[in-house]
Amino acid sequence: MLSQSIWWSSIALEVFLLTRGVCGRLIFRYPVFYAYIFFVLSQSILRSFIHRWNEQLYSSVYWTTEFLALILGCWIVFEIYRLALAAYPGTAKMARKILLLLFVLALAKAAAALWSDPHLLTDTTALQIERALRTVQAISIVALVTVFASYSIPFGRNLRGILLGYGLFVAERVICLTFVSGAGRDFWFYAYSASYLVALSLWLGHLWSYQIIPEAESSVQLEREYQMVAAATQRRLQETRGYLRKAVRS
Amino acid sequence: MMLMIEFSSLIAGAVLLLLLMAVATKGWMASRQLQEPAPVPSEEDATEPCPEEFVSRIFSRADWEFVRGLRAGSIERLFQHERKKVALVWVRQNSAMVRKVIREHAEAARQSKNLEFSTEINILAQFLTLMAVCGTLSVAIRIAGPLWLGGLAHFAQRLSQQVTKLQESFEVGALEKARGAGPA
Repeated sequence: MLSQSIWWSSIALEVFLLTRGVCGRLIFRYPVFYAYIFFVLSQSILRSFIHRWNEQLYSSVYWTTEFLALILGCWIVFEIYRLALAAYPGTAKMARKILLLLFVLALAKAAAALWSDPHLLTDTTALQIERALRTVQAISIVALVTVFASYSIPFGRNLRGILLGYGLFVAERVICLTFVSGAGRDFWFYAYSASYLVALSLWLGHLWSYQIIPEAESSVQLEREYQMVAAATQRRLQETRGYLRKAVRS
Repeated sequence: MMLMIEFSSLIAGAVLLLLLMAVATKGWMASRQLQEPAPVPSEEDATEPCPEEFVSRIFSRADWEFVRGLRAGSIERLFQHERKKVALVWVRQNSAMVRKVIREHAEAARQSKNLEFSTEINILAQFLTLMAVCGTLSVAIRIAGPLWLGGLAHFAQRLSQQVTKLQESFEVGALEKARGAGPA
């Protein structure tokens, strides 16, 4: 009964979100995000039909669509990165380097795990693979949000909503996947399904109508060389350090 | 191995959840501040360092020796209380100044096409070190007071000078020994 109501609520919210996207012409501003919502809506309906007509096929359809949604989700993160940092090449470069470093670390960790246990791939369940991939996704979003916050990147209401909603969804998924047993319907099973409802509600609130993304303020410092800016910052920080030391020792 | 992965997943999820909640709260507070009139500037908004002659007295024991000479317990307590408050304001001002420097740097660097990853990491490390120093100073002042901290800094400086002298004399001795052991 509870899972039925979660399912129907999700469908209703997705349809509502897509309708608002079309009416407010947001669908052209954030095409990847709306493609994702459309995909999730279609997969829910497809899964429901498969579950009713051919239960044997359900597991493979479920996991195929789940991993496709995960890939589309990564694309949403890329769209946030592209739109938010379009006017900030410096921050975009920093974000690229950090994300590259994280992916290299994740690949190295996976390779090391495979090296130490050759049967790892055959022994691992689809649920465990999803958890590992969602964890990498969560760490990437943490890095991206930290970079956005460090460089005070201004967000429009729409983009902030997409980031908050998807980030919360991934965080809740990762936490639920740690506890969900895979067999039986406990609290974590329902929390896992309901996590998407929270994200949908957030998206609906933030994507009601189009809100312009605040543009970068052009400053005099824009013309200055980065080396000069960095050197001035380092000098000011060193001065403060010396000042603190001198004051305490006085 | 699986247990470790599960734990790291849980940590990653919790960190992301907390970070997003912090970002959402910050955004909500910023939007509220835009609606409300600008508040009166506080002591933490100060962007210039205090005059040196003022700062040098915060951690100095000279005033304390004078007050102690009066032999009045209530004045001693009042002095310690007030000096602690002044020292904490000074630390908060410095911390705000460091944050302002970093904010200005971020605003300039974010639009720069030739930003350097290593330099940014270096600046971040310096910023974190300074914030840690301010945090430590704040805790130390709260626990022990600025006068004790000044004394401790002096002690540490004297100790460091003694170690340097010892090291120098050891190096000189080692050099002379090496010369003596060498061919005549």
